[in-house]
Amino acid sequence: MRKITNRAFSVLLIAALVIAGMAVYVLRYIDHGQEWALYFSRANTGSTGHMVDRNGITLAYFSGANNLFSPDRETRIANYHVTGDYWGRTGTGLLSRFWKDTNDFSLLTGTTHSSDKLLQLTIDARLNNKIYEALGEDCDGCMLVCNYRTGELLGMVSVPSTDPIDGNAELREGTFINRCISASFTPGSIFKLITASAAIENLKNLDKRTWYCEDGVKIAGVEITCIADHYTQTFEQALANSCNVAFAQIAVELGQERMIRYVRDYGFLDGHSLDGIPTAAGSYPLEFVGDPETGWSGIGQSTDMVVPYSMLRFLCAVANGGTLIEPHLLLGETPEASVLVKPATADKLGQMMNYNAVSHYNAEEMFPGMTVCAKTGTAELGDGDSHSWFVGYLADEETPYAFVTLVERGGFGITRAGAVASEVMQWAVENLEP
Amino acid sequence: MKKTGGLSDTILALSKYVLILLSIALIVRCIRSMLSEHYEPEVWGYLRHGNDNFPLTHWENLIGRALNADVRLVDPGVSRVHAVLRRGSRGTWRVYDIFSKGGVWIGQAKAGPGGLAVADGDVINVGGQRLRFRAVTPEKWEKLESKRTSAGRRVSPAVTLLELTVFQLFLLLQHAMSAKAEDLKAIALAWVALIALEWLCYNAMRFLNRSGFEIETLAFYLTTLGMSVVASSVPGDMLKQLVLTIAAVLLFLLLGLWLRKLERAVAARFTVAVVSLLLMGLNILFSDAVLGARNWLNFAGFSFQPSELVKVGFIYVGASTLDKVFRRRDLYTFILFSAFCVVSLALIGDFGTALIFFITFLVISYLRSGSIATVLLAVAGAAMAGFLAVSVKPYIARRFATWGHVWEDVYGAGFQQTRAISAAAAGGLYGKGAGAGWLKGIFAANTDMVFALIWEEQGLIIGIIMVAAMLTLAFFAVRTARQGRSAFYSIAACAAMSMLLVQLSMNVFGSLDLLPFTGVTFPFVSKGGTSLLSSWMMMAFIKSADNRRDASFAVRAQLEDKDDGREDNPDDWR
Repeated sequence: MRKITNRAFSVLLIAALVIAGMAVYVLRYIDHGQEWALYFSRANTGSTGHMVDRNGITLAYFSGANNLFSPDRETRIANYHVTGDYWGRTGTGLLSRFWKDTNDFSLLTGTTHSSDKLLQLTIDARLNNKIYEALGEDCDGCMLVCNYRTGELLGMVSVPSTDPIDGNAELREGTFINRCISASFTPGSIFKLITASAAIENLKNLDKRTWYCEDGVKIAGVEITCIADHYTQTFEQALANSCNVAFAQIAVELGQERMIRYVRDYGFLDGHSLDGIPTAAGSYPLEFVGDPETGWSGIGQSTDMVVPYSMLRFLCAVANGGTLIEPHLLLGETPEASVLVKPATADKLGQMMNYNAVSHYNAEEMFPGMTVCAKTGTAELGDGDSHSWFVGYLADEETPYAFVTLVERGGFGITRAGAVASEVMQWAVENLEP
Repeated sequence: MKKTGGLSDTILALSKYVLILLSIALIVRCIRSMLSEHYEPEVWGYLRHGNDNFPLTHWENLIGRALNADVRLVDPGVSRVHAVLRRGSRGTWRVYDIFSKGGVWIGQAKAGPGGLAVADGDVINVGGQRLRFRAVTPEKWEKLESKRTSAGRRVSPAVTLLELTVFQLFLLLQHAMSAKAEDLKAIALAWVALIALEWLCYNAMRFLNRSGFEIETLAFYLTTLGMSVVASSVPGDMLKQLVLTIAAVLLFLLLGLWLRKLERAVAARFTVAVVSLLLMGLNILFSDAVLGARNWLNFAGFSFQPSELVKVGFIYVGASTLDKVFRRRDLYTFILFSAFCVVSLALIGDFGTALIFFITFLVISYLRSGSIATVLLAVAGAAMAGFLAVSVKPYIARRFATWGHVWEDVYGAGFQQTRAISAAAAGGLYGKGAGAGWLKGIFAANTDMVFALIWEEQGLIIGIIMVAAMLTLAFFAVRTARQGRSAFYSIAACAAMSMLLVQLSMNVFGSLDLLPFTGVTFPFVSKGGTSLLSSWMMMAFIKSADNRRDASFAVRAQLEDKDDGREDNPDDWR
C-alpha cells in the first residue's frame, strides 16, 4: 500500500498549483483591482450623477440602477460620441470616465459609490445638434469646433451615430468610432499648411520667389499633376491656388527629413490625451522614399494620414499666435499651454489662410461678418473618390473658434465640407455665448 | 437592485461579515478535524519475522525488498515486489505471488495466480524467509479499536453543521433583500429543504453510529454557494436545483453504501466501464451542440451531460486493488478505456472535459504504475495528447489566442473574461451581497465564471474559502489514503480529488485569464445538474477511504463484517 500512497503526492502537486495560481491572481488583483473594477460603467454601485453641457443641458444622468440620457433623441444622437453609452460600446465616451469619477475603489470593499457628482462639459449640445444636422445623418464624417483662446472644445460630432438608449438600432459600419479622435484620413491639400509652415521657416526670400505651374511637373522623371494650370504664382498665391506643382517642389526642396521633423513636432504622428481619452496617431512616410514621393507627401497624398483632432490642435495653435491651449472637455479645467508653432510663422500662415478665404473661398458669402482663415482639402483616395476637408478658424476676438470639417468621400473640399463649415460657423457666431 | 432603506443596508453590511466569519469558522473546524487531528491506523493482523513483528495496517499489504513495501524484508532471496497479503471483507486472508523469483509457499502449497488461503498461525515462506501470520481476533480488534481516535471526538460535527446552518440563514436573508417578491417563495423553500436535508443526513449518520461528517459539511457548504448562484442568476430554476441536490445526495449515499463491500465494488468495475462507454457512445450519436461542444443530451425535459457521469465511472474503473495493480492486463484495459473516453470527448468537441480526463488519467497511471509500465504509459499518454492537439477545433484555437490578451478585445473574444475579472474586482474582500452583482446577467456567469460571480457577491474571502474547501478535501484524501484498507479506495479517493482540483483550476483560472478559457464547471457551485450529481458522487469515494474510527457510513466496522458468519469467496476477487 505504501508504494501507492507514497505516490499520492501527485495530488498535492496539483493542490500546490491551485494555491500558486490563487496567489498569483491575488497579487495581480492588488496591482490592477481598481483598473479592472472600474472598467465597465454598467458596474455602477449606485452612484448618482449628472453630466451636462456648458449650458446645463442634460446629456446623461446616472441614477444608480441605469443610465439615462437627454430626453431629446436628436441631442442623444448628436452627442453620442461625447457621452458613450450604457454598454460601453464606444470606447471613448465620457460615461466610463464619469463612472470612474463617481465611484471609489478599495481592495477591501471593492467599488463603493461616492456622493452625487455634477460633471459639466465644455461641449455645447445645441452646437453638436447643429453640426449633426449640417453633416446629415447619411454621410460619413465629423466636425470639431474649439475655442482656441481657452481650449474649450465646443463641438465634437462623428457621423454615423446612434441613439445610446436604443440597443437594437441598425448600425452602419464604424458607428462606434469617434472619427474626430479615433481615426486618421488622407489629408490632401490641408496638409499644405504644414509644408507652408516649414517653408516659411526654412526657405530664404520666400516672398520674392515664384513657382511656375503648367501641365504638372516632373520630379526625377515622375509626373505630379495639378488640378489646373496656375502659371507664375507667388508663395501666397500658390497656397490659395492649392497648387500641387509648387508645394511638391517646396517639399522636395525642404527634404523628407525636415518634413518629418515638422510633422512630428506639430504632433501629427502622436496620439494625444483628451481629458484622459486617448486619441489616435497619424502617419507620414518615415522611411526614405525619394524625391517624387516626398513631393506627393508634401501635398497630403502618399501615405500621409491625419487625425482630425491633431489638425485641430495645430489650427488652435496657429490661431492663438503659436501657443496651443490644450483642448479639453471638462469645464473649469486649467489646460496646459505650450508653444507649438513659432509666433512669426503662425502670423504669416494666418495671413495666408485669410487670403485664401477672401480671394478663393468666397468668404464674404460663406462666412459673412467673420474674419475667416481657412484651407480646403480634396484628398484623392486613388479610386476616383476624394475626402472633402475644410479647416480653419475665425480671427475675431468675440468668436475665437477653430474648426475641422471632414466629409469622407465628399468630393471637393469647398463644396461639401466648406458648406457644412459655413452653415455651422454662421450658427455658432450667432448663437454661442461670447 | 431594489431600493432599500437604512436599516436593511445595515443588515446587509452586517450579514456580509457574519457570512465571512461563519465561513472561516467552518473551514477552520473542518481543517482541524480532518487534517491536524492525529488518527491511528487500523491493525488487521501481524506478520512475525524473527524478532520483527510487522503490524498489518491495510487489507492489502505488499511484502518485498522494495523500500516502500509494507512488510520490508531485506534479503537477496526476496524480490522487490514479492507478494501481496490480502484480507477479504469477511476476515479471511490470502497471499498472492506477484513477480517473485523465489515463490510463495505455505507448507508444501505454492501460491498460484488465485492466491493461497492463510490462516491464523500459518507460516508463509517468502523467498526463503519465514513469516508467521497472526490474525487479530474480534476481541483483540475491539480492544485496539477502542484506543483509536474517533472522528469528531475533539471537533464536534454537530457544531460545524450548526455553523453551516446559520451561514445558510444569513445567506437567505441577503437573498430576501435582493430577490424579486415572486421568486422569494421558491428560494426560501429551497433553503429550508436544503437545511432539512443536511440535518437528515447528519442524523442518519448518528443512527449508523458514525461521527465523521466533515466531508458532507464541506460539500453542503459548496452546494449552498451553488444554490445562491442559482437564486441570483436564474431564480426560476430554484426548485429544479433543489430536486437535483436531493438526487445528488441520494446518489452519494447509494454509491457510498455500494462501496462498503470491496469485493462487490471491485467486481462491478467491468459493468461500470461498459455503462460508461455506452454513455459516451450515446453522447456521440445523439447529442446537441451547445456552443461548439456537443456534450448535451436532452431527455424528458432535462438536459444532461453524459460526460459528467462518465467522470465517476472513470475514477471507478481507474481504481484497483493492490494485487491487480501489478498485473499488466488490468492496466492495458484501463489505458484502452481512457483512450476511448478522451478521444470521444475530443470528437464531440468538449476540449475542457477531455483535458480533465487526460490529466486524471496521468494521475491514476502514476498512482498505479510500477516500473514496467511507465514507458508504455508515457507512450499512450503522448499519443492521446497528440490526438488532442490535432483535434483542437478553430473555436478552441481562438480561445488559446485570446489567452492572456482578454483586455485587448473587451467587446469581442475577451467579452466574458473581462467582465468576470471586472465584476470580481468590484466585489472586494466582502462582496456586494447575494443577488446584488451585475455579472449574473452575463452569459455563463453561473457556470463557467461562477468563481467571479461568488467573488462579486460574497467577496474574495469566501471565494478563497470555496477553493480552500476543495483543497481541504484533497489533502484529506491524500492523508486518509495512507491508512486505506484497499488500494482501490485509496486510488479512487486521490484520483477523484485530482479530477475535481483540475476541474476547479480550469474553471477559476480560465475565467480569470490565467489559463485558456475552456468552459468547465466548478464542482458543486456551478449551475448544472449533472455536474452537481458527479461532484457529490465523487465524495462517496472519499467517504469510502475514510477509515478513521466510526467515521464513515461507507466503511464497514469490523463487527459488522461478522454478522452473516459467511466465509469470503475467493472467486469474488479474481
